[in-house]
Amino acid sequence: MFLLSLARIFRFAFQSFLRNIWLSLVTITIIVMTVFSLTVLILVNVLTDQAVSSIKNKVDISLYFEAQTKEETVTDIKDQISKIDHVRDIEYVSATAALERFKATHSQDSLIQDAVDEMGENPLGPVLVVKADEMSNYPSILKNIEDFKINEVAKEIDYDDHQLIIQKIELISGKIKQFGLFLSIAFTLISLLVVFNTIRVGIYVHRDEVNIMKLVGASNWFIRGPFLVESILYAVFGCLVFWIIFYVAIGFINPIVSGFFADINFNLISYVLHNFWYIFGFELVAMVLLNIISSAFALGRHLKV
Amino acid sequence: MIYFKDINKKYPPDTLALNNVNLHIKPGEFVSIVGQSGTGKTTLIKLLIAEEKPTNGKIIVGGWDITDIPGRHVPILRRQIGVVFQDYKLLPKKTVMENVAFALQVAGETNQKIEKIVPQVLKIVGLEQKTKRFPEQLSGGEQQRVSIARSLVHRPKILVADEPTGNLDSINTREIIDLLQKINELGTTILLVTHNREVVNALRKRVITLEGGVVVSDQEKGKYIL
Repeated sequence: MFLLSLARIFRFAFQSFLRNIWLSLVTITIIVMTVFSLTVLILVNVLTDQAVSSIKNKVDISLYFEAQTKEETVTDIKDQISKIDHVRDIEYVSATAALERFKATHSQDSLIQDAVDEMGENPLGPVLVVKADEMSNYPSILKNIEDFKINEVAKEIDYDDHQLIIQKIELISGKIKQFGLFLSIAFTLISLLVVFNTIRVGIYVHRDEVNIMKLVGASNWFIRGPFLVESILYAVFGCLVFWIIFYVAIGFINPIVSGFFADINFNLISYVLHNFWYIFGFELVAMVLLNIISSAFALGRHLKV
Repeated sequence: MIYFKDINKKYPPDTLALNNVNLHIKPGEFVSIVGQSGTGKTTLIKLLIAEEKPTNGKIIVGGWDITDIPGRHVPILRRQIGVVFQDYKLLPKKTVMENVAFALQVAGETNQKIEKIVPQVLKIVGLEQKTKRFPEQLSGGEQQRVSIARSLVHRPKILVADEPTGNLDSINTREIIDLLQKINELGTTILLVTHNREVVNALRKRVITLEGGVVVSDQEKGKYIL
């Protein structure tokens, strides 16, 4: 009996959805725009996080030693540095490895390659690359290293914190997120109002049926059910329509986004495909809840059972 | 069967629709409730189907105290009381069969049961040949018979008819009253709210007269006295 009633509730909901098709289409359009703003907000978050973490990964303290420095000396210093708090990783790059890396980095520049070949012997010394667990701990680690008084063997201590770039990215992404959040809240409120109004109109259109339902002893949930299901249908169709459009559009957007974020090797299509069910699921649940809340208000206000 | 004990119904700010009404209607009775407009007849019906609650007093239907009936129990009560109105309250886009079946569908009855009961009640009201017609293709009397058929699908013990002949000519009025009598003979208690003097006088059944929210007369085999 429960399943039978549920099936009839769905049938009445679909009937109402189709009988007021223009109103349904307008409601779905607004929901599509809300889902669009939510998706943009999610993707902007992902992109900026990727960009910032990529830059943060590039930050390190590099200690360049004289070419003739003995390996034991460098290893001793490495051991001392590894004991400093907040050091996450310390890499020893031998003079030979350093030369190979240098050659590999400048493999396209024949002038540099020729110059290195002409020198005959390896002009580079070993290098220690120190990474901290947090960006904010680099200054204290740097101070500790300087306290070791290793200037006699270390040619240069290089620390470029990229702080300015990170701050700029975070500033821009913060602004984009603020705008996205504002857009999402605005569309969410518009959706709430539009769904509220659609259900209100639905109650008005079906007032005779509702009155007869009450008269012949339909349960309260049977009377309210079709309107709630109808609002859920708007959410489901809104999300589906958006993702169909977005799936087509993403083919055109991807080259632009990938080109813009070439440094961080971000592929929009693979990210979206990989996380589709998370994003779609989140948006679907959010829109369904939103519509249920909105229709519940409309039913509470306009449908006395 | 039905008890109204010391019933008062006050509407804000100070309209007293019913004033100290005491009634007892026995099972299987055919009772006409008469009175001029605004005397509280419809209010009495609204209290009976729990559309309104009394300000004071107690209402008992079939041993069930419905005075403060919770909302979730109202549908159960309404399946035991069939109601028909002057304006029929039919759905214009549904056929005769669908209008009657609708009452069973919304109550969660199975399709098999619906297919069994609907032809039976349509036969009782004499519309078994017009099941596929739409309300606009029927006369007023036929539309009222569809409404009666719909009210019978739950096999109610009580049938309330609020001005059922208000929109009908004398021939259709006679047919509807005959139908109500036939339903009464099958054991259903009938409460007929009407203005129609001829109908009440011809019935020669119990007549309750309301005036200004007060029961001024309650006669077995009574007449329209206003």
